[in-house]
Amino acid sequence: MTRRDPSTDLRALQTLAKLVRDTVQPPSAAALDRGLNQLMDRATAHRARRPKVVYWSLAAALTLICGLLGLQVTSFLRGRTREQPALAYRVEGGSVLAGGYLRDSGNGGVRLFFNEGTKVELLPGARGRLRVVDKEGTRIVVDQGTASFDVARSKDRRWFVEAGPFAVAVKGTFFTVSWEPSSERFELRLQHGSVVVSGPIAGGDIELRAGQRLVVNLPKAETLISETQAEPVAATSSSAPALPSLDSANTAAAAATANSKDAPDKSSTTIAPASSASGASKVDRKSTWSEYLAHGHWDRILAEVEARGVDATLETASSEELFALADAARYRRRSDLARSALLAQRRRFSGSARSLDATFLLGRVEESRDRARALAWYEEYLERAAAGTYAAEAWGRKMVLTNELKGRAVARPIAEEYLRRFPKGSYARAARALCGEP
Amino acid sequence: MPKRLSQVSLSLVAGANRRDVSDVELAHGLADGEAWAIGLAWHRFAPMVLTMAERSLGSRSDAEDLAQDVFLNVFRRAKTLREPEKLRSFVYSFAIFGLKSELRRRKLRGWLSFLTPEALVELSSRSVDVESRDLLRRFYALLDRLSARDRLVFSLRELESMTVEEIAEVMDISVSTVKRSLTHAVTRLSRWIMADADLAEVFDTGRWQR
Repeated sequence: MTRRDPSTDLRALQTLAKLVRDTVQPPSAAALDRGLNQLMDRATAHRARRPKVVYWSLAAALTLICGLLGLQVTSFLRGRTREQPALAYRVEGGSVLAGGYLRDSGNGGVRLFFNEGTKVELLPGARGRLRVVDKEGTRIVVDQGTASFDVARSKDRRWFVEAGPFAVAVKGTFFTVSWEPSSERFELRLQHGSVVVSGPIAGGDIELRAGQRLVVNLPKAETLISETQAEPVAATSSSAPALPSLDSANTAAAAATANSKDAPDKSSTTIAPASSASGASKVDRKSTWSEYLAHGHWDRILAEVEARGVDATLETASSEELFALADAARYRRRSDLARSALLAQRRRFSGSARSLDATFLLGRVEESRDRARALAWYEEYLERAAAGTYAAEAWGRKMVLTNELKGRAVARPIAEEYLRRFPKGSYARAARALCGEP
Repeated sequence: MPKRLSQVSLSLVAGANRRDVSDVELAHGLADGEAWAIGLAWHRFAPMVLTMAERSLGSRSDAEDLAQDVFLNVFRRAKTLREPEKLRSFVYSFAIFGLKSELRRRKLRGWLSFLTPEALVELSSRSVDVESRDLLRRFYALLDRLSARDRLVFSLRELESMTVEEIAEVMDISVSTVKRSLTHAVTRLSRWIMADADLAEVFDTGRWQR
């Protein structure tokens, strides 16, 4: 084993501490209000029962402690432990590989049945991982596609579902989650129970109630919350901010979200920062653009760029900042700025992985203006990164654009190649149609 | 006219016009069990308590539970506050006491079950990517191995940026004990990081640049 410089480990420790400091955010106004209501409930209940139970509680606690210690000593002497039953599961339709990856053995999806009653199903085409399974809870990652969860209510165990940049904290409930990394679209349908969704949603966490559906389209900067039986009500950059399905606190947050999206205009040269009314915008320390981006503070990034000067930023910003700027500009439909940032990324950091990603994203940006140029970017990306992060999406877009620009005959071999590489990919249906398959 | 606590609605929220109330007035309000003071104290101090607890424990829901207990105790014991101008310190001391108890409870639970569960980090961030989540999970697993006192001292120093003297005051221990605990925690954490091949790889290869 190679020994390393202790100062390196100290720096690593400081970096980890900084990561924690930067990661934890102050609670949103809605979360504070929820906490206060809960506190008042507890204060009232406590006041009502306190005189009666205090002595009995002490006696019961002492008895319980003695009993627990006795049990523990007994089990220790017997050489085995008595602990909360371990969480176990069985898998149908697939298997769990190293690293928790769930592999589909057929076309019917993978189903997990946990011994405490929870059922999880990855629908056909979905990819996911079991990250943590222990007696305290379970964490499942949906990398792509749709998964349904029927989580048994438990006081002792917690369930977390991660889907792209979104995290769902779950108590007993039934819901489905979808995440498409290529289109950066997140969807959650909640049949019953309640969940709290965290992610790059301006206005803070969103608490969903039974019967609600949340759709977040990151590139379009859209957050839709609707009753599953009703037409969705949009809180987008261009539409009305009303969210009747939310409670008052969340409505306030959503309104702040909408406010924050009013300011920028594609042709504007000055951009107002996100509204200070937003709970999420109360981060008063110096943050990086990646953090702003993850919190949905796209306008703040753009405002800082305007303040610094676009040209100066493109020449001096780090690779990470350029990428964050490109994303913020894309989400705000400022294609010219996004293109400039991506080109700067390629020019200044030509050997990096982000440079490859920038090549693909340039294709996405160009599609709205010059599809031939977009096709060229996709081809270059596939040439340089045949197995890259966006390879499936690049093949799909190349196939679609080729069909539109050069006709079906030219597109068919690309469709065949796509089906060979990604038989379950999101463009598989379109590829089969091009190949004339049913 | 202010109402007594027993008469108020359960969804009480502090009014905007109370924002300029001083800590002294607020402490008197709490001591008198006035309804407005409860909401105002929560909104003034809960963010501090929640953030500190979440960073120290690595769990938002545990932090929320702890904050509830802290404020219940603060409201219950407000009458015992002799120096109203030190209300913030008063709240802080309950928070520190709660944190210490929670960390000790975790240690005890781990001992009783003869099992150290994998750290289940649940922070409120909306920004964490997969790699950061892994790093945080590993980091909190290392923190779980520290004693309750060492961990709390480390958290207050490195995560809350408190001075050694401040830590000594809020934890009611001597400055030299704080320094000893801090050195102990940092040394052990550094050693564990060095021994963790995955963490070492992340930092050695420079993949993690902040």
